[in-house]
Amino acid sequence: MNITQEWNDILDKVKTWARVNSPWLIHYNSGSCNGCDIEILATLTPRYDAERLGVKLQGSPRHADVLVCTGPVTMQSRDRLQRIYDQMPDPKFVVAVGSCAISGGAFQGCYNVIGHIDEVIPVDAYIPGCPPRPEAIIDGLVKLLTAIKTGAPIQTEKPEELLDVV
Amino acid sequence: MEAIGNIVSLLFFPGGLFVIFAGLMYEWLDHKIIARSQNRIGPRWFQPIADAIKLLTKEEIVPDGVNPVLFAILPLIALAGALTAALYVPMAGLKPAYSFAGDLIVTVYMLSLLTLSIGLAGANAKERFSLVGSTRALTQLFAYEAPFLLALLGPAIAAGSWQISEIVAYTETHTWMMILQPIGFVVALIGLMGKLELPPFDSPEAETEIVAGALTEYSGRGLAIFHLGKGAELIIGLTLITAFYMGGVSNPVWFLVKTVGLLAVLAALQSLMTRLRIDQTVGMWWRYGALLVLLQWLIIVVVQLV
Ligand code: SF4
Repeated sequence: MNITQEWNDILDKVKTWARVNSPWLIHYNSGSCNGCDIEILATLTPRYDAERLGVKLQGSPRHADVLVCTGPVTMQSRDRLQRIYDQMPDPKFVVAVGSCAISGGAFQGCYNVIGHIDEVIPVDAYIPGCPPRPEAIIDGLVKLLTAIKTGAPIQTEKPEELLDVV
Repeated sequence: MEAIGNIVSLLFFPGGLFVIFAGLMYEWLDHKIIARSQNRIGPRWFQPIADAIKLLTKEEIVPDGVNPVLFAILPLIALAGALTAALYVPMAGLKPAYSFAGDLIVTVYMLSLLTLSIGLAGANAKERFSLVGSTRALTQLFAYEAPFLLALLGPAIAAGSWQISEIVAYTETHTWMMILQPIGFVVALIGLMGKLELPPFDSPEAETEIVAGALTEYSGRGLAIFHLGKGAELIIGLTLITAFYMGGVSNPVWFLVKTVGLLAVLAALQSLMTRLRIDQTVGMWWRYGALLVLLQWLIIVVVQLV
């Protein structure tokens, strides 16, 4: 192993460390009933204090690393969801929160609903629940961060057991 | 030998790396104190460093419709201004690296470069949130700048010199200016909050109204450099105010104690107050801030005459 490669390895380690320790979120509701959104906000309040993990809610997609989506994708919000995803700088990750985001949930088959999040954009982590508790959301985030840290392939396939959560 | 000394003072101490690093640490302390006063645990000590490295390694998107040269160069100007200002202040309680008659004015205007760059960066982007943010940033600049400068000139008049090192030498040997000129101290402290766009003066970057203000379109490196510039400005502002109003900073220990104490006051004020509207900010500065400082000036002049 020559010196440049070692140097690059060290740089990569520093980059991953920084990435894992400072996930900035942007939150988008593509048609949820608001239950999940309230839980996400509860996660950010002093009670659960996500800032100790480096989590910060950002207003602009340009500043964010993790897109937290809730709800099924309605026809109207599909383009917006896509646009917000495109506006985020690489590397970016997507977390789907709640049964609706995972499978369409209670809104499956509605006339104005296209489907779940990963029919529109690639999703890296799923957090089931209707709505998931703040603990579950933090747990999901930590799982995503661990996956980034260990370089484990990030889940793009939806786990089988989540398919029945309807 | 002199060349080496110059390079060291520009790149490592007191300019360059030292200011950037110290700025990040003070930023953490600020967040931590706010978190504790909200009954939270708060961020870990390396949080601002991780944020900065992460932003530096992210993709930088240059949006459509901006002038790419300006887009790239404005963050650099902002950081360079802040770092240049660091050379003229008694950083860490030591002597300023450079000094000449009237460097107080140069320092204060170097600090304003940051806000000016942020304003221009917002105006450069073709996007409504950036534009609103930049209008507010520049409006706020005109609101606090004059009272802040006048407040810093109070000790200068008392010392009879506009050179930072001489003013510091004067304040070190006299009673704390904070006691002799309380109005000036309060205005300078609140002026610093306005300069750094801390709550209650954070309407230029109000995330609940205008996304992220003037920096909405910045991602990756540009955003990181603006953040570093803000950190540098925080520590320089704290140094200036402690040196002028809190009995000088004669050695590194006193420097640390006094600036951290002042930072705690700033953090407490931030967690106590909510955001002011931009017209309220301007009104407050010109109706009360400027008038109070002028009153302070009048008192100083009268006292000096008698
Ligand atoms: S998962 Fe439940 S709480 Fe969340 S959006 Fe769907 S129905 Fe609402």
